[in-house]
Amino acid sequence: MEWETVIGLEIHAELNTKSKLFSVAPNHFGDEPNTNISEVCTGQPGSLPVLNEEVVRKAVQFGCAINGRINHFSKFDRKSYFYPDSPRNFQITQYDQPIISGGVVFAEVEGTEQSFQVNRVHIEDDAGMLKHFSNFAGVDYNRAGVPLIEIVSEPCLHSPKEACSYAMAVKAILQYIDASDCNMEEGSLRFDANVSVRKKGEQALRNKIEIKNMNSFSFLELAIEAEVNRQIAFYEKDPHGKILQATYRWDPEKKETVLMRRKEKAEDYRYFPEPDLVPILLDEAYIQEIREALPELPLQRERRYVKELGLSSHQAFVLTYDKPLADYFETALDITPQAKALCNWLTVEFAGRFKESGKNLVASGIPASHVAELVVLIDNGTITGRIAKSVADDMVAHPARAPAAIVAANPDYQPVNDTGEIEKLVDQVLAENPQSITDFLSGRDKAFAFLVGQVMKMTRGKASPQVVNDLLNAKIKHAAK
Amino acid sequence: MMHQLSARALRDEVAAGRLSALEVADYFLKRIHALDGDVGAFLRVLDARVREKARAVDEKRQRGEPLGKLAGVPIALKDNIHVEGEISTCGSRFLTNYKAPFDATVTRLIEAEDGLIIGKTNQDEFAMGSSTENSALQKTFNPWNLKCSPGGSSGGSAAAVAARMCPLALGSDTGGSVRQPAAFCGVVGLKPTYGRVSRNGLVAYASSLDQIGPLATNTDDIGLLMDVIGRHCDKDSTSLRWDAESYALEGGIQGLKIGVPWLFLEQLAEEPKKHFMAALETLKSLGASILDVDLSILKYSLSTYYILATAEASTNLARFDGIRYGVRAPEAKTLEEVYELSKEQGFGAEVKRRILLGTFVLSSGYQDAYYKKAQKVRRLIIDGYKAAFAQCDLVATPVSPFAAFEMGVIKDPLQMYLEDIYTIGINLAGIPAVSVPAGFTTDKKPLGLQLMGPVKEDQRVLTAAYAFEQAAPFAREMPPLKEVK
Repeated sequence: MEWETVIGLEIHAELNTKSKLFSVAPNHFGDEPNTNISEVCTGQPGSLPVLNEEVVRKAVQFGCAINGRINHFSKFDRKSYFYPDSPRNFQITQYDQPIISGGVVFAEVEGTEQSFQVNRVHIEDDAGMLKHFSNFAGVDYNRAGVPLIEIVSEPCLHSPKEACSYAMAVKAILQYIDASDCNMEEGSLRFDANVSVRKKGEQALRNKIEIKNMNSFSFLELAIEAEVNRQIAFYEKDPHGKILQATYRWDPEKKETVLMRRKEKAEDYRYFPEPDLVPILLDEAYIQEIREALPELPLQRERRYVKELGLSSHQAFVLTYDKPLADYFETALDITPQAKALCNWLTVEFAGRFKESGKNLVASGIPASHVAELVVLIDNGTITGRIAKSVADDMVAHPARAPAAIVAANPDYQPVNDTGEIEKLVDQVLAENPQSITDFLSGRDKAFAFLVGQVMKMTRGKASPQVVNDLLNAKIKHAAK
Repeated sequence: MMHQLSARALRDEVAAGRLSALEVADYFLKRIHALDGDVGAFLRVLDARVREKARAVDEKRQRGEPLGKLAGVPIALKDNIHVEGEISTCGSRFLTNYKAPFDATVTRLIEAEDGLIIGKTNQDEFAMGSSTENSALQKTFNPWNLKCSPGGSSGGSAAAVAARMCPLALGSDTGGSVRQPAAFCGVVGLKPTYGRVSRNGLVAYASSLDQIGPLATNTDDIGLLMDVIGRHCDKDSTSLRWDAESYALEGGIQGLKIGVPWLFLEQLAEEPKKHFMAALETLKSLGASILDVDLSILKYSLSTYYILATAEASTNLARFDGIRYGVRAPEAKTLEEVYELSKEQGFGAEVKRRILLGTFVLSSGYQDAYYKKAQKVRRLIIDGYKAAFAQCDLVATPVSPFAAFEMGVIKDPLQMYLEDIYTIGINLAGIPAVSVPAGFTTDKKPLGLQLMGPVKEDQRVLTAAYAFEQAAPFAREMPPLKEVK
């Protein structure tokens, strides 16, 4: 590989506080436009911002979770720009003295654990939203003033996969500390990526392109990949050419990055300290209290699953990065200790069944106890693995029904326990396939599997594979003597 | 004659039932309607509202409930202080249709103590000016000389109190905007310690300098109003966590050391200097000693102020874009036109000048030379005052280099900015200062003495002003207005 990709990510996470960053208006998504507003978040003259302490606490929790430096002094600044969704025409953000400096995020990239450096985390307020109608535009200020933390990585990500894994790990941390709903569809987690490429071994960074406002992991990965390819193609066509700094967005229809605006002149936001707010002063005792009260974090949980449950680190990662799924897993684990089997049902079987619809198991209405019950039914031999898959299909179709009840109600799901009946079928199969017996006896194991399959087919999967195995083995050996 | 009573005396009459609040309200309403045609202090008189509130106070008394500290006292508010449901224009064409959606904290505190908000007063547009001539809405004249300016930017409030159209008023003081009009109009005006009075509901000009301050015909009434509005407020992050203090002002100034920055006062003209010296003599006669202090750093205060105040203003006023409220240019068809034309038509020349200046000093490439340097000088000014107050208890200066000037004579903005040379440093340092009447020029225009103290020493400042006022009762004289029958 001749080219090296350099990516820095800016992740905007809306915090799930009760009220907004600087006002008592509710912080709530999805309500009628301009209902969750106050004089502060609509920028009324005479209104003043008052910092919501809950925001500071959540930001500090995140800082502790990534082992960043929690600054004892940080302050807010005004960032000036004109846009109708910005009620004061300046955003209140933290420019040169953020609340968190540095930090590390651990992520699994294609099966390997890697660590990524965070440059800073700062607090700022979200803007409102423009709504375009046929002959006018309206502004909804419900989102204006919603607290955000912006998590800025170092330019330390070197592939779209790394960027995506890092983003997933950040999301997991936010969920574990309950700082954000991380609801991508509602825009509570949004990504901006700064992307450039350079020849391997080159010291300086080339001009970067900013891809703004991606709200899904797959868009993030696709967009960076497309952008990297575009840049490489540009430099290969024109080795002395220069890419001009610009802002792009991802067009999911065209599957390419699209130019929004050039950055010929650096935008002048005229940052200066926000005079209506006092600096955030934090003492060590406050930080220590938060640090000590941190819940289990995704990395800790992943390691626990590997160490105590014997999961592979990949299995553990797939479970833990999705906190609701990991919690679901633990609920199921209270019923059956079969951690690996459970993990497989959650992350492979059920995940596959929901993939098409875009839904997921946790939100499906299927209680964790039902999945555990399914594993128990297999484990105690009530059903075969093959029947279990059909039962799982039925569970997806009828989320409230318990697997035991599904099995009881369907004669096709009753295992054939009558050994005599199975024996007849075994005899029939052996009589019809003398060549397979010969093959097996001359050392071809596949022939045995074929014979098992034939018997299972005749029982429509209801016979215990173990019983069939045993019978076949015994009969072939007996005949060979 | 009710207009000759102090606010405290009026309140006592109402509390004792010798006057009803409605009688008081009607008396002052009548006086406003008789006199304000000549003075032009009020932008809006809240006749119906004040009478309704007055009736409520009277009913409260009839029910035998205790009355508040401001019961039945008419109070005027500068038009940048919100009264819910009433227009707040801030003297700007842009806000002529803007109804305040909430009460300022001071409004709430005053009404909780049964004070009667009688009207909204004229001001320089967004408090930018020193003569009230920058109001886009009307002219206000000095009750002592109707050819002259009342000063500014709280000129309407000062003129209203001077003309006894109300015993108390609130202004806002960012660089002298309470004290200078108080001096021009011969009344008392206080700029409290920054953070003493909540700014919630005060339309911001320069957030780190703005402070609401009272105007009254006497120092005791200033204390009365401060006792009500000088409270910590959760809606203003810069509000001091400082409980209400005592405004008992009878302590005198025996033994106090009063510093005078003579070097800084070198340019003072003959007549104001004569009156200032006389005021110092009065202070000495009350037992204070006068010493020279070095505040030469204040020569940078004007330029520091015009960088910092305009920087903050350029962002504070950015919200007036025609999108959410205010007067949107009717012919605007695109977003750019809404912004451009609404501002073009809504703002006056001085406001535009200050927004441009503030935008410039914050721009990248210039911020270090202007905004950041000015921040450092502000720190030096704060240190300069601290050093001075290590030597003395109070500092005395004139309020303004001149008495009230005729309307329209100061055309050069820089000349107008010089009006605030003695008052502006106080806002940069956040310290308290009072303007108290200290005599008249030969053509009978009032002059003011300014007394300032360290941060949170508002009471000390007022105590000295009170002592001075007892010895030199210039404030008792009333301007030569027509009689109201």
